[in-house]
Amino acid sequence: MAEEIFTTRLRARRWLSPDTYEVDMDRPDRFHFRPGQHIRFDHEGLEREYSPVSTATDAVITLCVRDTRTGNFSTALAHAPQETSFRFSGPHGYFLYTPSSRPAVFAATGTGIAPFVSMVRSGVTGFLLLHGVRTAEECFYESLFRTAARGYVPCLSGAGKPADPPDAFYGRVTDYVAGHLPSSPCDFYLCGRQEMIRDITFLVDEHFPQSRIYSETFY
Amino acid sequence: MKVYTGGGDRGRTSLFSGERISKTHDRVAAYGELDELSAILGALTAALEGRAPQVLKEVQDIQYVLFDIGALLATTPESPSFAALKKIDEETIAALERRIDRLDAELPPLKSFILPGGDMTAAWAHIARTVCRRVERRMTGLAEEEGMEDDLQPARVYINRLSDYFFVLARYCNQITGVPDVVWKR
Repeated sequence: MAEEIFTTRLRARRWLSPDTYEVDMDRPDRFHFRPGQHIRFDHEGLEREYSPVSTATDAVITLCVRDTRTGNFSTALAHAPQETSFRFSGPHGYFLYTPSSRPAVFAATGTGIAPFVSMVRSGVTGFLLLHGVRTAEECFYESLFRTAARGYVPCLSGAGKPADPPDAFYGRVTDYVAGHLPSSPCDFYLCGRQEMIRDITFLVDEHFPQSRIYSETFY
Repeated sequence: MKVYTGGGDRGRTSLFSGERISKTHDRVAAYGELDELSAILGALTAALEGRAPQVLKEVQDIQYVLFDIGALLATTPESPSFAALKKIDEETIAALERRIDRLDAELPPLKSFILPGGDMTAAWAHIARTVCRRVERRMTGLAEEEGMEDDLQPARVYINRLSDYFFVLARYCNQITGVPDVVWKR
Protein backbone atom coordinates (compact mmCIF):
# COMPACT_ATOMS: atom_id res chain seq x y z
CA MET A 1 0.00 0.00 0.00
CA ALA A 2 2.95 2.32 -0.58
CA GLU A 3 1.99 5.70 -2.02
CA GLU A 4 2.40 6.03 -5.75
CA ILE A 5 5.06 8.38 -7.09
CA PHE A 6 4.36 10.24 -10.33
CA THR A 7 6.72 12.04 -12.65
CA THR A 8 5.71 15.23 -14.38
CA ARG A 9 7.34 17.96 -16.45
CA LEU A 10 7.10 21.71 -16.21
CA ARG A 11 5.35 23.06 -19.31
CA ALA A 12 4.66 26.73 -18.65
CA ARG A 13 4.99 29.49 -16.07
CA ARG A 14 2.98 32.70 -15.83
CA TRP A 15 3.82 35.40 -13.30
CA LEU A 16 0.66 36.81 -11.72
CA SER A 17 2.48 39.33 -9.53
CA PRO A 18 6.11 40.02 -8.59
CA ASP A 19 6.12 37.08 -6.16
CA THR A 20 3.34 34.76 -7.32
CA TYR A 21 3.13 32.59 -10.40
CA GLU A 22 1.16 29.79 -11.99
CA VAL A 23 2.82 26.73 -13.46
CA ASP A 24 1.39 24.12 -15.78
CA MET A 25 2.71 20.59 -15.43
CA ASP A 26 1.77 17.45 -17.28
CA ARG A 27 -0.94 15.45 -15.56
CA PRO A 28 0.15 11.80 -15.67
CA ASP A 29 -2.53 9.56 -17.17
CA ARG A 30 -2.87 7.48 -14.03
CA PHE A 31 -3.07 10.48 -11.72
CA HIS A 32 -6.55 11.45 -10.58
CA PHE A 33 -7.58 13.80 -7.83
CA ARG A 34 -10.64 15.52 -6.45
CA PRO A 35 -10.83 19.32 -6.23
CA GLY A 36 -9.43 20.38 -2.87
CA GLN A 37 -6.89 17.58 -2.59
CA HIS A 38 -3.18 18.31 -2.74
CA ILE A 39 -0.01 16.78 -4.12
CA ARG A 40 3.39 16.50 -2.47
CA PHE A 41 6.58 17.29 -4.37
CA ASP A 42 9.93 15.86 -3.41
CA HIS A 43 12.58 17.57 -5.51
CA GLU A 44 16.29 17.42 -4.76
CA GLY A 45 15.66 17.24 -1.05
CA LEU A 46 13.00 19.96 -1.06
CA GLU A 47 9.46 18.97 -0.13
CA ARG A 48 6.33 21.02 -0.60
CA GLU A 49 2.59 20.45 -0.94
CA TYR A 50 0.26 22.29 -3.29
CA SER A 51 -3.41 22.07 -4.17
CA PRO A 52 -3.98 22.30 -7.92
CA VAL A 53 -6.08 25.18 -9.21
CA SER A 54 -6.89 23.07 -12.26
CA THR A 55 -9.67 20.51 -12.48
CA ALA A 56 -9.43 16.75 -12.33
CA THR A 57 -9.98 16.44 -16.06
CA ASP A 58 -7.57 19.10 -17.32
CA ALA A 59 -4.61 17.86 -19.34
CA VAL A 60 -2.26 19.77 -17.09
CA ILE A 61 -1.94 20.25 -13.36
CA THR A 62 -1.86 23.97 -12.69
CA LEU A 63 -0.48 25.31 -9.43
CA CYS A 64 -0.57 28.81 -7.98
CA VAL A 65 2.66 29.36 -6.10
CA ARG A 66 4.03 32.19 -4.04
CA ASP A 67 7.80 32.40 -4.30
CA THR A 68 8.89 32.80 -0.71
CA ARG A 69 12.46 33.47 -1.92
CA THR A 70 13.93 31.51 0.91
CA GLY A 71 15.59 28.89 -1.23
CA ASN A 72 12.83 26.36 -0.74
CA PHE A 73 10.80 24.47 -3.33
CA SER A 74 8.78 27.51 -4.44
CA THR A 75 12.02 29.27 -5.41
CA ALA A 76 13.36 26.22 -7.22
CA LEU A 77 10.11 25.94 -9.16
CA ALA A 78 10.16 29.66 -9.94
CA HIS A 79 13.50 29.30 -11.71
CA ALA A 80 13.26 25.78 -13.16
CA PRO A 81 13.53 25.67 -16.98
CA GLN A 82 10.66 24.31 -19.02
CA GLU A 83 10.72 20.50 -19.36
CA THR A 84 12.27 20.13 -15.91
CA SER A 85 11.15 16.86 -14.42
CA PHE A 86 9.52 16.71 -10.97
CA ARG A 87 8.30 13.84 -8.82
CA PHE A 88 5.21 14.02 -6.68
CA SER A 89 2.88 11.80 -4.69
CA GLY A 90 -0.83 12.09 -4.18
CA PRO A 91 -3.57 12.87 -4.14
CA HIS A 92 -3.54 13.65 -0.44
CA GLY A 93 -6.08 15.13 1.93
CA TYR A 94 -9.80 15.31 2.46
CA PHE A 95 -10.48 18.99 1.92
CA LEU A 96 -13.46 18.29 -0.30
CA TYR A 97 -16.61 20.24 -0.91
CA THR A 98 -19.68 18.55 0.52
CA PRO A 99 -23.00 20.10 -0.53
CA SER A 100 -25.52 20.58 2.27
CA SER A 101 -28.57 22.63 3.17
CA ARG A 102 -26.38 25.06 5.12
CA PRO A 103 -24.78 28.03 3.34
CA ALA A 104 -21.14 27.48 2.44
CA VAL A 105 -18.54 30.02 3.56
CA PHE A 106 -15.13 29.71 1.93
CA ALA A 107 -12.32 31.56 3.68
CA ALA A 108 -8.78 31.72 2.33
CA THR A 109 -5.61 33.64 2.92
CA GLY A 110 -3.15 34.26 0.08
CA THR A 111 -2.54 31.29 -2.18
CA GLY A 112 -4.69 29.23 0.17
CA ILE A 113 -7.32 30.16 -2.39
CA ALA A 114 -6.04 27.32 -4.63
CA PRO A 115 -8.42 24.50 -3.63
CA PHE A 116 -11.40 26.82 -4.03
CA VAL A 117 -10.29 27.70 -7.55
CA SER A 118 -10.29 24.02 -8.46
CA MET A 119 -13.68 23.50 -6.83
CA VAL A 120 -15.25 26.43 -8.70
CA ARG A 121 -13.72 25.40 -12.01
CA SER A 122 -15.29 22.00 -11.34
CA GLY A 123 -18.75 23.50 -10.96
CA VAL A 124 -19.18 24.54 -7.32
CA THR A 125 -21.34 27.69 -7.02
CA GLY A 126 -23.44 29.61 -4.53
CA PHE A 127 -20.92 30.12 -1.73
CA LEU A 128 -19.65 33.19 0.09
CA LEU A 129 -15.91 33.63 -0.41
CA LEU A 130 -13.73 35.68 1.91
CA HIS A 131 -10.23 36.10 0.51
CA GLY A 132 -7.59 37.60 2.76
CA VAL A 133 -4.78 39.33 0.86
CA ARG A 134 -2.59 42.39 1.30
CA THR A 135 -3.78 44.25 -1.80
CA ALA A 136 -6.52 43.84 -4.38
CA GLU A 137 -3.89 43.01 -7.02
CA GLU A 138 -3.45 39.65 -5.26
CA CYS A 139 -7.07 38.65 -5.97
CA PHE A 140 -5.88 36.70 -9.00
CA TYR A 141 -9.08 34.74 -9.52
CA GLU A 142 -11.55 37.53 -8.78
CA SER A 143 -13.52 37.29 -12.02
CA LEU A 144 -13.91 33.53 -11.65
CA PHE A 145 -15.29 33.88 -8.14
CA ARG A 146 -17.51 36.84 -8.88
CA THR A 147 -19.27 34.68 -11.46
CA ALA A 148 -19.69 31.60 -9.28
CA ALA A 149 -20.09 32.95 -5.74
CA ARG A 150 -23.23 34.37 -4.14
CA GLY A 151 -20.85 36.73 -2.40
CA TYR A 152 -17.20 37.60 -2.86
CA VAL A 153 -15.36 39.76 -0.35
CA PRO A 154 -11.71 40.67 -0.81
CA CYS A 155 -10.39 41.24 2.71
CA LEU A 156 -7.48 43.64 2.32
CA SER A 157 -4.91 43.99 5.07
CA GLY A 158 -2.84 46.64 3.28
CA ALA A 159 -3.52 50.31 2.73
CA GLY A 160 -6.57 51.10 0.61
CA LYS A 161 -6.17 52.29 -2.97
CA PRO A 162 -8.54 54.17 -5.26
CA ALA A 163 -8.68 51.21 -7.64
CA ASP A 164 -9.77 48.75 -4.94
CA PRO A 165 -13.08 46.98 -5.56
CA PRO A 166 -15.94 48.99 -4.02
CA ASP A 167 -17.02 45.99 -1.97
CA ALA A 168 -13.57 45.35 -0.50
CA PHE A 169 -13.39 44.88 3.25
CA TYR A 170 -10.43 46.47 4.98
CA GLY A 171 -9.34 44.05 7.66
CA ARG A 172 -8.69 40.39 8.27
CA VAL A 173 -10.97 37.58 7.16
CA THR A 174 -11.51 36.86 10.84
CA ASP A 175 -12.73 40.41 11.42
CA TYR A 176 -15.26 40.01 8.63
CA VAL A 177 -16.59 36.75 10.09
CA ALA A 178 -16.82 38.31 13.55
CA GLY A 179 -18.56 41.48 12.46
CA HIS A 180 -20.50 40.80 9.31
CA LEU A 181 -21.74 37.22 9.19
CA PRO A 182 -25.14 36.49 10.73
CA SER A 183 -24.92 33.98 13.54
CA SER A 184 -26.49 30.94 11.91
CA PRO A 185 -25.30 27.44 10.98
CA CYS A 186 -22.92 27.40 8.02
CA ASP A 187 -20.42 25.07 6.42
CA PHE A 188 -17.04 26.76 6.82
CA TYR A 189 -14.23 25.76 4.49
CA LEU A 190 -10.98 27.29 5.70
CA CYS A 191 -7.68 27.21 3.84
CA GLY A 192 -4.69 29.32 4.65
CA ARG A 193 -2.68 30.50 7.58
CA GLN A 194 -2.91 28.57 10.81
CA GLU A 195 -3.85 31.71 12.75
CA MET A 196 -6.84 32.38 10.48
CA ILE A 197 -8.06 28.80 10.84
CA ARG A 198 -7.65 28.85 14.60
CA ASP A 199 -9.38 32.20 15.08
CA ILE A 200 -12.33 31.40 12.82
CA THR A 201 -12.69 28.03 14.49
CA PHE A 202 -13.01 29.77 17.86
CA LEU A 203 -15.58 32.19 16.39
CA VAL A 204 -17.59 29.29 14.99
CA ASP A 205 -17.55 27.53 18.35
CA GLU A 206 -18.86 30.67 20.05
CA HIS A 207 -21.22 32.23 17.51
CA PHE A 208 -22.18 29.71 14.81
CA PRO A 209 -23.71 26.68 16.56
CA GLN A 210 -24.49 23.60 14.48
CA SER A 211 -21.97 24.68 11.87
CA ARG A 212 -19.44 22.45 10.17
CA ILE A 213 -15.75 23.21 9.71
CA TYR A 214 -13.45 21.74 7.09
CA SER A 215 -9.93 23.12 7.13
CA GLU A 216 -6.53 22.82 5.48
CA THR A 217 -3.52 24.67 6.78
CA PHE A 218 -1.46 26.33 4.07
CA TYR A 219 1.52 28.55 4.52
CA MET B 1 0.47 21.50 5.24
CA LYS B 2 1.00 22.16 8.91
CA VAL B 3 0.05 19.50 11.43
CA TYR B 4 -1.62 21.87 13.85
CA THR B 5 -4.17 24.68 13.59
CA GLY B 6 -4.76 25.44 17.25
CA GLY B 7 -8.50 25.08 16.66
CA GLY B 8 -8.69 22.46 19.37
CA ASP B 9 -7.02 24.52 22.06
CA ARG B 10 -10.31 25.29 23.79
CA GLY B 11 -11.48 21.73 24.19
CA ARG B 12 -13.46 21.17 21.02
CA THR B 13 -12.49 19.36 17.86
CA SER B 14 -13.77 18.87 14.32
CA LEU B 15 -15.12 15.58 13.12
CA PHE B 16 -14.27 14.32 9.66
CA SER B 17 -17.84 15.26 8.74
CA GLY B 18 -17.20 18.82 9.92
CA GLU B 19 -19.16 19.03 13.18
CA ARG B 20 -17.53 20.65 16.19
CA ILE B 21 -17.80 18.55 19.35
CA SER B 22 -16.30 18.43 22.81
CA LYS B 23 -13.15 16.39 23.18
CA THR B 24 -14.90 14.58 26.03
CA HIS B 25 -17.47 13.16 23.60
CA ASP B 26 -17.61 9.36 23.39
CA ARG B 27 -16.96 9.58 19.67
CA VAL B 28 -13.60 11.27 20.28
CA ALA B 29 -12.77 8.73 22.95
CA ALA B 30 -13.64 5.91 20.55
CA TYR B 31 -11.38 6.99 17.71
CA GLY B 32 -8.73 8.03 20.20
CA GLU B 33 -8.65 4.55 21.71
CA LEU B 34 -8.58 3.07 18.25
CA ASP B 35 -5.56 5.25 17.54
CA GLU B 36 -4.01 3.94 20.75
CA LEU B 37 -4.57 0.40 19.49
CA SER B 38 -2.89 1.21 16.19
CA ALA B 39 0.06 2.72 18.03
CA ILE B 40 0.41 -0.44 20.07
CA LEU B 41 0.44 -2.40 16.84
CA GLY B 42 3.28 -0.13 15.77
CA ALA B 43 5.21 -1.26 18.83
CA LEU B 44 4.30 -4.86 18.05
CA THR B 45 5.56 -4.58 14.49
CA ALA B 46 8.78 -3.00 15.73
CA ALA B 47 9.25 -5.97 18.05
CA LEU B 48 8.46 -8.39 15.20
CA GLU B 49 10.99 -6.80 12.84
CA GLY B 50 13.37 -9.42 11.51
CA ARG B 51 11.65 -12.21 13.40
CA ALA B 52 8.34 -12.97 11.72
CA PRO B 53 7.94 -11.05 8.45
CA GLN B 54 4.60 -12.61 7.55
CA VAL B 55 3.07 -11.76 10.91
CA LEU B 56 4.52 -8.26 10.70
CA LYS B 57 2.83 -7.74 7.33
CA GLU B 58 -0.45 -9.04 8.76
CA VAL B 59 -0.33 -6.61 11.65
CA GLN B 60 0.45 -3.70 9.35
CA ASP B 61 -2.53 -4.65 7.19
CA ILE B 62 -4.65 -4.54 10.33
CA GLN B 63 -3.42 -0.99 10.97
CA TYR B 64 -4.84 0.01 7.60
CA VAL B 65 -8.21 -1.49 8.52
CA LEU B 66 -8.13 0.35 11.84
CA PHE B 67 -7.56 3.58 9.95
CA ASP B 68 -10.74 2.90 7.98
CA ILE B 69 -12.66 2.21 11.18
CA GLY B 70 -11.28 5.40 12.71
CA ALA B 71 -12.67 7.38 9.81
CA LEU B 72 -16.09 5.77 10.37
CA LEU B 73 -15.98 6.70 14.04
CA ALA B 74 -15.00 10.29 13.22
CA THR B 75 -17.92 10.74 10.84
CA THR B 76 -21.60 11.09 11.63
CA PRO B 77 -23.64 8.55 9.62
CA GLU B 78 -26.11 11.10 8.31
CA SER B 79 -23.38 13.18 6.69
CA PRO B 80 -22.60 12.79 2.98
CA SER B 81 -19.00 11.98 3.90
CA PHE B 82 -20.08 8.76 5.63
CA ALA B 83 -21.41 7.22 2.44
CA ALA B 84 -18.06 7.74 0.74
CA LEU B 85 -16.06 5.98 3.44
CA LYS B 86 -14.72 2.48 3.10
CA LYS B 87 -16.78 0.09 5.21
CA ILE B 88 -15.76 -3.18 6.82
CA ASP B 89 -17.08 -5.97 4.64
CA GLU B 90 -17.86 -9.59 5.46
CA GLU B 91 -14.78 -10.86 3.64
CA THR B 92 -12.47 -8.75 5.82
CA ILE B 93 -14.00 -10.36 8.90
CA ALA B 94 -13.95 -13.83 7.34
CA ALA B 95 -10.28 -13.47 6.40
CA LEU B 96 -9.44 -12.55 9.98
CA GLU B 97 -11.35 -15.55 11.28
CA ARG B 98 -9.49 -17.85 8.89
CA ARG B 99 -6.20 -16.43 10.10
CA ILE B 100 -7.19 -17.01 13.73
CA ASP B 101 -8.04 -20.62 12.91
CA ARG B 102 -4.77 -21.18 11.04
CA LEU B 103 -2.63 -19.74 13.82
CA ASP B 104 -4.55 -21.66 16.47
CA ALA B 105 -4.06 -24.89 14.55
CA GLU B 106 -0.31 -24.47 14.89
CA LEU B 107 -0.48 -24.13 18.67
CA PRO B 108 -0.70 -26.82 21.35
CA PRO B 109 -4.14 -27.11 22.95
CA LEU B 110 -4.76 -24.69 25.77
CA LYS B 111 -5.18 -26.60 29.04
CA SER B 112 -5.16 -23.79 31.54
CA PHE B 113 -5.34 -20.04 31.78
CA ILE B 114 -2.27 -18.15 30.70
CA LEU B 115 -0.97 -14.86 32.01
CA PRO B 116 -0.10 -12.09 29.58
CA GLY B 117 3.63 -12.12 28.99
CA GLY B 118 6.48 -14.16 27.62
CA ASP B 119 8.41 -12.78 24.71
CA MET B 120 8.21 -9.03 24.08
CA THR B 121 6.20 -9.65 20.91
CA ALA B 122 3.67 -11.70 22.84
CA ALA B 123 3.49 -9.06 25.56
CA TRP B 124 2.61 -6.39 22.97
CA ALA B 125 0.02 -8.70 21.41
CA HIS B 126 -1.61 -9.12 24.83
CA ILE B 127 -1.70 -5.36 25.34
CA ALA B 128 -3.27 -5.04 21.88
CA ARG B 129 -5.86 -7.63 22.88
CA THR B 130 -6.91 -5.74 25.98
CA VAL B 131 -7.06 -2.37 24.22
CA CYS B 132 -9.10 -4.07 21.51
CA ARG B 133 -11.66 -5.06 24.14
CA ARG B 134 -11.75 -1.48 25.40
CA VAL B 135 -12.31 -0.17 21.89
CA GLU B 136 -15.13 -2.66 21.45
CA ARG B 137 -16.78 -1.49 24.67
CA ARG B 138 -16.43 2.14 23.61
CA MET B 139 -17.84 1.45 20.15
CA THR B 140 -20.76 -0.40 21.67
CA GLY B 141 -21.56 2.55 23.92
CA LEU B 142 -21.27 4.97 21.04
CA ALA B 143 -23.48 2.83 18.81
CA GLU B 144 -26.15 2.68 21.50
CA GLU B 145 -26.02 6.36 22.40
CA GLU B 146 -25.91 7.65 18.85
CA GLY B 147 -28.23 5.08 17.28
CA MET B 148 -25.42 3.78 15.10
CA GLU B 149 -25.84 0.06 15.75
CA ASP B 150 -26.30 -0.85 12.09
CA ASP B 151 -23.63 1.56 10.86
CA LEU B 152 -20.98 0.28 13.24
CA GLN B 153 -21.96 -3.39 13.48
CA PRO B 154 -19.45 -4.82 10.96
CA ALA B 155 -16.63 -2.76 12.45
CA ARG B 156 -17.62 -3.88 15.92
CA VAL B 157 -17.54 -7.53 14.86
CA TYR B 158 -14.12 -6.99 13.31
CA ILE B 159 -12.77 -5.47 16.53
CA ASN B 160 -14.23 -8.34 18.51
CA ARG B 161 -12.48 -10.89 16.30
CA LEU B 162 -9.34 -8.85 16.44
CA SER B 163 -9.02 -9.35 20.18
CA ASP B 164 -9.28 -13.10 19.62
CA TYR B 165 -6.64 -12.81 16.91
CA PHE B 166 -4.26 -11.06 19.29
CA PHE B 167 -4.80 -13.71 21.95
CA VAL B 168 -3.83 -16.43 19.50
CA LEU B 169 -1.06 -14.29 18.07
CA ALA B 170 0.44 -13.78 21.53
CA ARG B 171 0.69 -17.52 21.98
CA TYR B 172 2.04 -17.90 18.45
CA CYS B 173 4.70 -15.26 19.12
CA ASN B 174 5.82 -17.13 22.22
CA GLN B 175 5.95 -20.35 20.23
CA ILE B 176 8.06 -19.02 17.36
CA THR B 177 10.45 -17.27 19.73
CA GLY B 178 10.80 -20.34 21.94
CA VAL B 179 9.39 -18.68 25.04
CA PRO B 180 6.81 -20.70 26.97
CA ASP B 181 3.43 -19.17 27.77
CA VAL B 182 3.14 -18.05 31.38
CA VAL B 183 0.67 -20.55 32.83
CA TRP B 184 -1.67 -19.50 35.60
CA LYS B 185 -1.21 -21.45 38.83
CA ARG B 186 -3.35 -21.42 41.94
